[in-house]
Amino acid sequence: MEKAHFKDKVALITGSSRGIGASIARTLAAAGADVALNYRRSGGSSEDHGNKLCEEIRSLGRKALLIQADISEKESVRKLVGSVTEYFGRLDFLVLNAARTPFKPLEKLMERELRQLVDTNYIGNIFCIQESVQELAKSEGRIVFVSSLGSRFYNPSYPLGSMKAAMESVVRDCAEGLRGKNISVNAVCGGIVKTDSFKVLRQLWEEIEYIPEYLFVEPREIAEVVEFLLSPASRAVRGQTIVVDHGFSNRLYQPMVKK
Amino acid sequence: MAQNIVTEEKVIEEVKKAVAETLSSDPSGIEADNSMIKDLGAESLDFLDINYRLEQTFGIKMARHFILEHIEDMFGEGAAIDENGQLTEKAVLFLKARYGDKFPGFSAGMDMDEVPSLFTIRTMAGGVMDILETLPEKCGKCGSASWKADGGVKVGCGSCGEAAVYTTGDDLIKQWLSKIQEENKSC
Repeated sequence: MEKAHFKDKVALITGSSRGIGASIARTLAAAGADVALNYRRSGGSSEDHGNKLCEEIRSLGRKALLIQADISEKESVRKLVGSVTEYFGRLDFLVLNAARTPFKPLEKLMERELRQLVDTNYIGNIFCIQESVQELAKSEGRIVFVSSLGSRFYNPSYPLGSMKAAMESVVRDCAEGLRGKNISVNAVCGGIVKTDSFKVLRQLWEEIEYIPEYLFVEPREIAEVVEFLLSPASRAVRGQTIVVDHGFSNRLYQPMVKK
Repeated sequence: MAQNIVTEEKVIEEVKKAVAETLSSDPSGIEADNSMIKDLGAESLDFLDINYRLEQTFGIKMARHFILEHIEDMFGEGAAIDENGQLTEKAVLFLKARYGDKFPGFSAGMDMDEVPSLFTIRTMAGGVMDILETLPEKCGKCGSASWKADGGVKVGCGSCGEAAVYTTGDDLIKQWLSKIQEENKSC
């Protein structure tokens, strides 16, 4: 549903060609925002998905732009934000959704894998914040980081969790640091979503089969909380991470019991 | 004794199907020698999805980690990929010994990011075939030696119906690396 607050505002969503990022893009476009989509690697299925999503958003009557950029490289992020402001003339919302990880236990990661993990999921996200601050300050903009339950619970072969935890801390930090510029910063911590990452989880975590269907989260359910955090209704929420998991994390044992 | 009652032709057909479903493309446009990345546009997350589909189809466990990771697990960091992210001589020796003509194009100094683009439908099918070839002679439950392949893909016991149990892809690579290591010791 189109909402006055989003009309003609511009959202940049990193890692938005598929999964939760794509759902956030659709939700914000439906609310009336113009959307900048981002993917990392040219010539692959992400670019294809991104192009299709771009068309879909344009068919809603919104502007959309697909930009290739690797957030782990500062120059690439600079170009990404530059392309957004050049094309749309403004930036109101930054949604930090991009993530990249090997799927193996933390203690087995090679040095280069560790560095890539930090480069993309920690440093890369901070690059995005740094490069966007100037534009976001002009629009009293909002930043939302997309976290996951891995930030606080163990998942097998999911080293990304520790980066998510670090970023939840960055969110708290920046919420205060950017207060003077009237930029709000919050996060959404998604439960188990049946997107691409689920395809990985189900290979590494066999018990996942026993989790009842009602505890799974739809990408749209996360996207709608992101929308809330980008809207004036969340004006008193600052530096917080909202868990969106249908209560999955409230239950210590029940989901693991074999039916 | 190891055996396999699923044909390579059938495996290639199923790999094409899995790739097409993952990438939302038409299986009839996919060739066995298409590169998964260069020709078909697959990405790392797509590989995991393709693996999952193949696991469901054949009742197997595909390798969660590529052979290069196993080499480094066994011989330490830097054994397969050097500090510049390039394949070492040792990695190439292992890869050639493992895949031979099925998987051409490896060379020392090659950027590790280029390796996945060498994967084709046929090499993916080869990985499935390797696992299917670990089918035991007899059913572990009833001892019968009468396997049958449901739909030509999912093997079960012809007597008691128990699903076939295969060696996992990761265990297969580990066993193979250990064997090569032993052979090299005795040389």
